[in-house]
Amino acid sequence: MRFNTKKFFELAKAHGFEAADLNISKGHSMSVTLYHGEIENYSEENTTDAVARGIINGKLGGCVTEKFDKNTIEFMIDSIEKTARVIETNDPVIIYKGSKKYHRGSYYNKALFEVPFEEKKKILFEIEKKLFAYDKRINEVASVSYSESSEDSILQNSYGLKLKTKKSDFSIVAQITAKEKDEIRSNYAVFAGNNLEEFDVDKFVKELADETLKKLGSSQCKSKKYPVILNPDCSATLIRAYLSSTNAEDVQKNSSLFIGKLHQQIASKKLTVTENPLTKNVFFDYYDDEGVAINKKDIVKKGVLQTYLYTLETAAKDGVEPTGNGYRGAGKASAGLGYIIIKPGRKSEEEMMSSIKEGVYITDLEGLHAGMNARSGNFSLQSQGFMIRDGKLAEPLSLITVSGNLVEMFNNIKDIGSNSKFLLGGKASCPSISFKKLFVSGQ
Amino acid sequence: MPSKSAYLSILNTALSTGGDYAEIFIEEKVSQVVSIENGKVDASSVSRTYGAGLRILQNVNSVYGYTNDVSTKGLLELAKSLSNSFNGKQVLKVETLKTKHFKNNHPAQEPLSEVSVEDKINYIRPAEKVMREYDKRIVRTKAAFANSQSKITIVNSNGFIVHDEKERGRAILSAIASDGEKYETAFEGPGAMSGFEHFKNDVDLVALAKEAAKSAITMLSAKDCPSGKMTVVIGNGNGGVIFHEACGHSLEATSVSKNLSVFSNKLGTQIASKVVSAVDDGTIANSWGSNNIDDEGNKTQKVVLIENGILKNYLIDTVGGRRMGMKPTGCSRRESYKYEPTSRMSNTYICNGKSTPEEIIAATKLGLYAKTLSGGSVNPATGEFNFGCSEAYIIRDGKICEAVRGASLIGTGAEVLMNIDMVGNDCARSNGMCGSASGYVPVDIGQPTIRVQNILVGGNGGELK
Repeated sequence: MRFNTKKFFELAKAHGFEAADLNISKGHSMSVTLYHGEIENYSEENTTDAVARGIINGKLGGCVTEKFDKNTIEFMIDSIEKTARVIETNDPVIIYKGSKKYHRGSYYNKALFEVPFEEKKKILFEIEKKLFAYDKRINEVASVSYSESSEDSILQNSYGLKLKTKKSDFSIVAQITAKEKDEIRSNYAVFAGNNLEEFDVDKFVKELADETLKKLGSSQCKSKKYPVILNPDCSATLIRAYLSSTNAEDVQKNSSLFIGKLHQQIASKKLTVTENPLTKNVFFDYYDDEGVAINKKDIVKKGVLQTYLYTLETAAKDGVEPTGNGYRGAGKASAGLGYIIIKPGRKSEEEMMSSIKEGVYITDLEGLHAGMNARSGNFSLQSQGFMIRDGKLAEPLSLITVSGNLVEMFNNIKDIGSNSKFLLGGKASCPSISFKKLFVSGQ
Repeated sequence: MPSKSAYLSILNTALSTGGDYAEIFIEEKVSQVVSIENGKVDASSVSRTYGAGLRILQNVNSVYGYTNDVSTKGLLELAKSLSNSFNGKQVLKVETLKTKHFKNNHPAQEPLSEVSVEDKINYIRPAEKVMREYDKRIVRTKAAFANSQSKITIVNSNGFIVHDEKERGRAILSAIASDGEKYETAFEGPGAMSGFEHFKNDVDLVALAKEAAKSAITMLSAKDCPSGKMTVVIGNGNGGVIFHEACGHSLEATSVSKNLSVFSNKLGTQIASKVVSAVDDGTIANSWGSNNIDDEGNKTQKVVLIENGILKNYLIDTVGGRRMGMKPTGCSRRESYKYEPTSRMSNTYICNGKSTPEEIIAATKLGLYAKTLSGGSVNPATGEFNFGCSEAYIIRDGKICEAVRGASLIGTGAEVLMNIDMVGNDCARSNGMCGSASGYVPVDIGQPTIRVQNILVGGNGGELK
């Protein structure tokens, strides 16, 4: 059923809404999973949802719906009225008139959907076969899957703002385990993009297999402080955790590490972090969920905090411009960080390692939702990695924890590597980072 | 919603190319949330989820599709498209559909969907106030009430239609304490599949609010937790996350059936110390993790997983059961129609033992008392798990002493289960959300106070002395 946008805004006006907005997204996706030479699972999706907000008597109400029938618009208006009615805060509520300039664009590749299904399946068979053949110790390929999706979004509001974007992407994921004697190590790899030609099966298989096999024969190191190098994934994960404190709402509500730290040193001079969701990759966005234009901006420059992340509401409270970081479900927006680029340094990973007599190289950090208190900066995380001995990678480590404090740690960066990597999990381009000392527990 | 005859033609279209099982899952869910922050109602919203998932199985292979277009035409198109994944001849035809009825074991006198937003606000307001006024170092407080009403219809090629309606509610409290430099957050989240009467009569929300504020303040002055291998006493209730992570996930057919779990092929063998018995029970009346039927339309069950250390059963869904040659245990769950269902936990707990909690503490010379845990994760292939402690203390000479912060516990499921040497008699359950292959589902975790020998504690405070 087609959604009648005009009727929604007319009814909102008739009900005395001062302003309203509406974000409609249509998604299609397909995925296929291979297990032991058979297609174990195929799935497809076709969904639409509408997120609507309205201001009545200076209060904001909101609603999300996936049901579209003749009563949908009435349901939405009624829900917005009911939810707005109970709001007691006097915080500014804004439906946005629009930014002066938008870097309009999309991240869509029609050709992805024209590649025959059989060819996509063939890639999976090839990956599975090559993984099993790579080394006898690879005892299981738990799954190899391909997924693709496309999304069309339109944000409109009662001031006449209309923003559209279209996205597509695919991802290939493989999960394997390797076994030697009684030890099992598991690992996975993900590749994502929107051009299948960029995917190299042999490279994908080799990297995943090598990385997994290297983990076999692991032990626990002695518990003490070590010089530590975090690989690009782990570096980006901890930088994102640290920068979660840039949310202006937390600053305004006395619950951020960065209160009073704007334009102050929050990290070593070696650290520069730029946010640029305009980069053409799977994280592309040119407007946020409130309709504010997204621009490239420095978050941290030579260790100095350049900005907090604002929604329309928190920006109005501080009397500044919104920063294009507003994300929301139904109702109130909250600020989030888009795709970030960490400025690489000059030294290669090997050069950073060469000066460490005894240290730890971390490749995996687990359980961030349990072991990370980002608000305080304290963390203690289950990890895997390798010993560094006499400047080189030595035996693998598992079941160890790395603990520390984000403030202390990022103020004590020894070096930032030159090995920048595009990271899906970390939503970043980030190199390895070497730290002077961190506590690692094992034996 | 399609008619009975439309369901038949959707199922038969789905089965037209050789599928041996087809299932339609239709869901309409309305969720509401309202919150108070720092004394004022700051947010309120309504979300309506609506759609259908269609699954076809051929032996252990499956195809799954979902859509918001729940019309007969929409579902027939989906069935046709999905059936193209198989290229055999029809082996099964559904001739009739019979509606299966079951008893609702989770009655509600005051259904939450009929309670006004104002009444929910009045319910959470005193708790928010108690946290805010507990201590001037409490800098931010939030209380929220979230509830959902789901209407589900499952139609499958075994020839039955089943309807279920369920309502769940949860009060959420969080308090942030700060001394200007450090921040500590405490959380409480009592939930149930019940009416508003349960929240008003059986949940002392103000007492929980005091507990949360007290915990945040206590942890603010706590020292960094020491690290290394220690004897750890884990508190009752939410301490049960240890069993959930260390063992529960590794007993789900998702990983067991593919030999990807450390507990695959271990039925009848000793996998835990003799003092450990554990259960997953999806039938407990009005419990947060319960259901009348699972998301494949089968009745939920009480499944004994471990009895006196011996592995007795797994959590099995239809596909996992086919792979393992075992019967499903009524535990197939999904977050919504957007997920294909799979084996999941419901209300999982370690059963009562013989010691009192006081005896367990008194018997511990030097170690850690992890009073509450904040969640964790596990890799079922290796059994390696981690979880964080939100409130913890050092035990010295059989007494609970100074508070410590930033502790995480790590280990492998196989090892930790064998190292449980004392089990208390104070079993309690706590409510949470569990994320896995079929999305986030409400679960109860639970246990009495237990003691585990030789578990690795991560922290920033050096060696335990």
